Amino acid sequence: MTGDRPLVLVLLEMALLVLLGPLVTGAIQKMKARLQCRQGAGVLQPYRDLIKLLRKGTVQADTASGFFRSIPVLVLAATVAAGALVPVVRVGPPAFPLGDALMLLGLLALARFLTAIGALDAGGAFGGMGASREMTIAPLVEPVLMMVVFSTALTAGTTELGALAAHRGTSWIVAWHAADFLGFAAMLVLLPAETGRIPVDNPDTHLELTMLHEGMLIEHSGPGLGCMMLATHMRQIVTLGLVAALFFPALPADSAGATGLLLGAGAFAVKILVLALYLALVESSYAKLRLFRVPQYLGVGFACALTALALRIL
Amino acid sequence: MYDGRAVGVGPRWLPVALTARRSEVWPRPKRGNVGVDSGLSLIAACYGVGMLSSLLARWSGRLAIGVGHLAALAGAAAGLGVSLVILLGGPGRTLTQPLPILFPFARLSLSVDGLSAYFLLVISLVAVAAAIYGPAYLRAHSPEAGRARQAAQVFALNMFLGCMTFLCCAGDALTFLLCWEGMTLSSYVLVVSDDRDGENARAGLLYMVMAHGGTALLLVAFLALTERGGAFDFAALRAAADHLDSTTRTTLFFLALGGFATKAGVVPLHVWLPRAHPAAPSHVSALMSGVMLKVAIYGILRFAFDLLAPVDGPLPPSWGWTVLVVGTISAVLGVLYALQQHDLKRLLAFHSVENIGIILIGVGLAMILWRQDGVSGALATVALTAALLHTVNHAAFKGLLFLGAGSVLCRTHIRNIEELGGLARRMPWTAGLFLLGAVAISALPPLNGFVSEWLTFQALLGGGSRVHGPAGLVIVFSAAMLALTGGLAAACFAKAFGVTFLGRPRTAQAEHATEAPPSMIAGMVWLALLCVALGVAPGYAIRLLDAPTAMLLHGPAASAVVTARGPLVLSAALTPSGTDATAISMTMMAALLIALTAMAWILRHGLRRSPARAAPTWTCGMSPTTRFDYTATAFAKPLRLVFAALYHPRREVTRETAGTPYVVQRIHYAGEIVDLAETQIYHRVEREISALSRTIRARSTGRIYGYIGFVLGTLIVALLLIGVIYR
Repeated sequence: MTGDRPLVLVLLEMALLVLLGPLVTGAIQKMKARLQCRQGAGVLQPYRDLIKLLRKGTVQADTASGFFRSIPVLVLAATVAAGALVPVVRVGPPAFPLGDALMLLGLLALARFLTAIGALDAGGAFGGMGASREMTIAPLVEPVLMMVVFSTALTAGTTELGALAAHRGTSWIVAWHAADFLGFAAMLVLLPAETGRIPVDNPDTHLELTMLHEGMLIEHSGPGLGCMMLATHMRQIVTLGLVAALFFPALPADSAGATGLLLGAGAFAVKILVLALYLALVESSYAKLRLFRVPQYLGVGFACALTALALRIL
Repeated sequence: MYDGRAVGVGPRWLPVALTARRSEVWPRPKRGNVGVDSGLSLIAACYGVGMLSSLLARWSGRLAIGVGHLAALAGAAAGLGVSLVILLGGPGRTLTQPLPILFPFARLSLSVDGLSAYFLLVISLVAVAAAIYGPAYLRAHSPEAGRARQAAQVFALNMFLGCMTFLCCAGDALTFLLCWEGMTLSSYVLVVSDDRDGENARAGLLYMVMAHGGTALLLVAFLALTERGGAFDFAALRAAADHLDSTTRTTLFFLALGGFATKAGVVPLHVWLPRAHPAAPSHVSALMSGVMLKVAIYGILRFAFDLLAPVDGPLPPSWGWTVLVVGTISAVLGVLYALQQHDLKRLLAFHSVENIGIILIGVGLAMILWRQDGVSGALATVALTAALLHTVNHAAFKGLLFLGAGSVLCRTHIRNIEELGGLARRMPWTAGLFLLGAVAISALPPLNGFVSEWLTFQALLGGGSRVHGPAGLVIVFSAAMLALTGGLAAACFAKAFGVTFLGRPRTAQAEHATEAPPSMIAGMVWLALLCVALGVAPGYAIRLLDAPTAMLLHGPAASAVVTARGPLVLSAALTPSGTDATAISMTMMAALLIALTAMAWILRHGLRRSPARAAPTWTCGMSPTTRFDYTATAFAKPLRLVFAALYHPRREVTRETAGTPYVVQRIHYAGEIVDLAETQIYHRVEREISALSRTIRARSTGRIYGYIGFVLGTLIVALLLIGVIYR
C-alpha cells in the first residue's frame, strides 16, 4: 500500500481545517465589510462567538425528542470527518484509503439530513420551512457537484481527491482543456449554494423570507448551537478545499520535508483566500434570489457541468 | 477419552445406516455435504408444516399464527444455512435435487448454483425478520380477525415464502413457472386479507391482472425455448438457445424482460405496486417490497446471462441499454412520486420502484460491458457486484422501514403521516430504527445504501470513460441522475421521518401511541444490524458475491476486484491494472465518525456543566399548537413546484367566509398530483378497451348460434394459420 500521505498527516490536516474554518468565515465577513465601506468585526470574531456559545446554557423546545440533543454532535462529527478527505498541505493518495469525493459529498449530505431532522423536531414553522427549502436546494446541487467531480475524474481515472489534485499537478489555466473551464464555471456557480451564501442563501439573517440554513438552526442554543456553527464553518472550508483540489495547481507530492509541508500549507491558504474573496465579491454585488429562481440559477451550473462531461467523453 | 478407533462407532441407539455413513464421511470431512442435500427437503418441510398449521385455526387462531410463523422462521433459518454453504463452498458449487415426477411429460428438479443461493440468502434474511415480527403484529393490528382470515394468512405466508425460495432454486422451466404462479396467488391472498374494504380489493385485482399479463409474457418466452429444446430443464433450454438467431434471441429476451419488469414494478409497469404493497400486512409488505421484487431481478439475470446469453461474444447492445435507461427512469420517477406521497407505506412502496431502478442500472451496465472489446472484464464485475449488493441492501433497509411503518400502523391505525407526529417520544425504539433505515436508504455513509451506490457510481464512471461517444455520455448522465435520486431520497425521508416521528402529535391516536411489543422490535433490530454490518464491513459480504458473479460472468469474482486490497478496503478497478483504483474504507470511516462523535460530545457537554431548561417553541407570540408544525404537504411543496412538469399538480382551495371576504371562517385545501404513466398510458388503454368492448357489445346479440359461428370461424382461422406456418 503506497501512498503519499500517512494517516497521521491526514488527521492533522483535518484538525487544521477545524481550527481554520472559523477564520475563513471571519475573513469573508471582513472582506465583505470593507467592500461595503464598513469597518466590520475583526477576523477573529467567529472564534469569540464560538467560545461564547460553548459556555452558555441551553434552552430546548419542550416538544423536542431525545434526538434533538444529539443532532449537533452528529452533524459536527460528520462534517469534520468530511474534512479528513480534503488534501491540505500535500497532495497524493493517502497511505490508508479513507474516502473519496463521493464519500465527502455523502458525509456533507448526512450532516444536512440530520440538520433538517433536527429542524423539524422543535415543531415550529421556521425550522420546517428552513428544512424544506434546504432539502429542495440540496438535491439540485448534489448531482451537479458530482458531475463536476466526474468531469475531472474521467481523465484522472480516480475519484480520490488527493490523487485528483496530484493528477492536476502544477498545470494551470494555459494547460486547461475546455472541459476544465466549464467545470470550473459550474463550480463557481455552485459555490454560493453549497456554502449557503448569497444569491442562494443569506447567512446573516434570521428573516423567514430569506433564510435556508439559518432557519434550521433557530431552535438550537448554547453549546449545541456552537457545534452547529462550527460545523457550518467546517462545511465551508471543506467545500472550498474541494474546489481547490479539483481545479487549482498543487506542488508535486515529492517535495517532502518541513519546507515542503510549509509551502503546501501556504499554497493552500492562498487558494482558500482567493475563493473566499470570490465569495465576498459575489455576496457584495448580488441580491438574494427568490427561492423559485434558484433552480434556474443552478440550471446554469448544470448546463456547464453537462457540457464539460460531454466534452470529456465525446 | 476417545481414541482414534472409537470414531465412527457412535452411540448404540443410532441406526446402523447413519453410523455407517458417519464413519465414511468422518476421515475427509466435506463441509456440509450431508446437511445441504437434505437442506432443501428441510426447507420444504418447514414451509409445508407452516401451511398445514393453518388447520390449527380450527381450534385457536392464535396457535395457528404462532406455529405458522415458527415454521416460517425455521424454513428461513434452513434457507440461510443452505445458501451460506453453497456460497462459501468454493467456485462452481451447485446442488441438484430431482423432485418427484408429478407430470408424465416433464422431470422436475431443483438446482442451486451461486446465483440461486445468493437470492435464497436475500429471501431468508428478510423472512427471518418477518417471521419474528409477524405474530405480534397480526395480534396487535387486527385483534378482531376471524379464524378463517388467520388461517388464510398463515397458509398464504408460508406458501409465499416457499414459492419464492423454490423459484430461485428451480432447475427447470415448469418448476419456475409453477412457483411463479404460486408466489403471485399467495401474495394476492395476503394483499386482500388485511382489511376488507373496496380499495384493497381493487388493489388486489389490479395486481392480479398485471401479474398475469407479465406471466403470459414469461410463458411465451419459456415455451418458445422448451419447444425448441424438447425438455423443460434449464440445461436443455440453454442448448436450445445456442442455436437461436439474433432476432429471436432478442425477442425472447424482451418478452422475458417485460414479464419480469411487471413483477419488479419498473416504470411504466409499476402502477400496481404502490397500491398492492401497502395493502398487505406490514411484514408481508416488507417481504413483497424487499424480496418479491428481487425474484424478478433474479429472473432477469438468469435469462440475460445464463439461459439466453450467446455462447461467446457480448450480449446484443439493445438489451443492456434498455435495462440501463429503464432503470434510470424508474429510479428518478420512483423517488419523485414517493416525495409527494403522504401515506407512509405507499411512500415506501414508491421507493421500491426507485431502488429497483438503481439495481437495474447496475444490471444494465454489466450487460453492456460484459465481454466488450477494450473494456476490462473487471468493470462488468464491479457493475454486477453493485447491483447484487444493492439487492441485499435494499432488502435489509426496505424491510426495516416497512416493519417500522407497521409498528406505527398497529399502534395508531393511521397511515397518513399528516395525522401522526411526535411519535419519537412515545415509540423511541421504532423511531430510532426507522431513522437508521432512512439514513441507509438515502445512500448516506456510513450505512449500507452508500456502499452499493458508491460501487454503482464507480462502475458508471469506469464505463463512461471506456465507452466512447454519445453512449458514454448516456452512462455518465445516468450517474448524474443517480446522484439526483440520492438527494431526493434524503429529502423524502427527512419529510417522512420528521413529520411522522417529530414535532407534536396531531391526532389523539398519535398522542396515545405506545411502544411496539418486544418481538416486533426484535424483528426490526435484526434488519438494522444487517444494515450496519453491510455498511461498516461490506468487504466480508462481498465474499458471498464471489459465487454468483464468477458463475454469471465467467470472469473475475467480486472479491478479486472490489476487495482486492483486503476486506476493509473497497476499491473499483477503474484502471486496467487495478492498483491505483479509487479506494475507500467504510470501516475506517465508521471508526473515525465514532471517534469524532465522542470528541464532539465532549465539546458539547464536557467543557462546562451548563444549565439546560425546556421552554415552549417560539411561535411569534401565539400559543404553540400542532397547527404550527410543518406539514408533509408544505415540506414537499417547493419540490412539487420545481418538478411541476412531471407532477401536473392540481389544487383546489375553497374559502368559507362570513359574508365578507375579509373574515375567513374555514379554508378547504385539496391537492393531488398525477402519475404520468397512469394518465398517459393506462387511462388511454382503458378508454380504448372500453370503446372496443362497446363495439363488440353491438355484435353480441345473445343468440347461441351466433356465438357458435364465432367459435367455428376462429377455429378455422387458427387451423389455417397453423397450416401456413408448418407447411
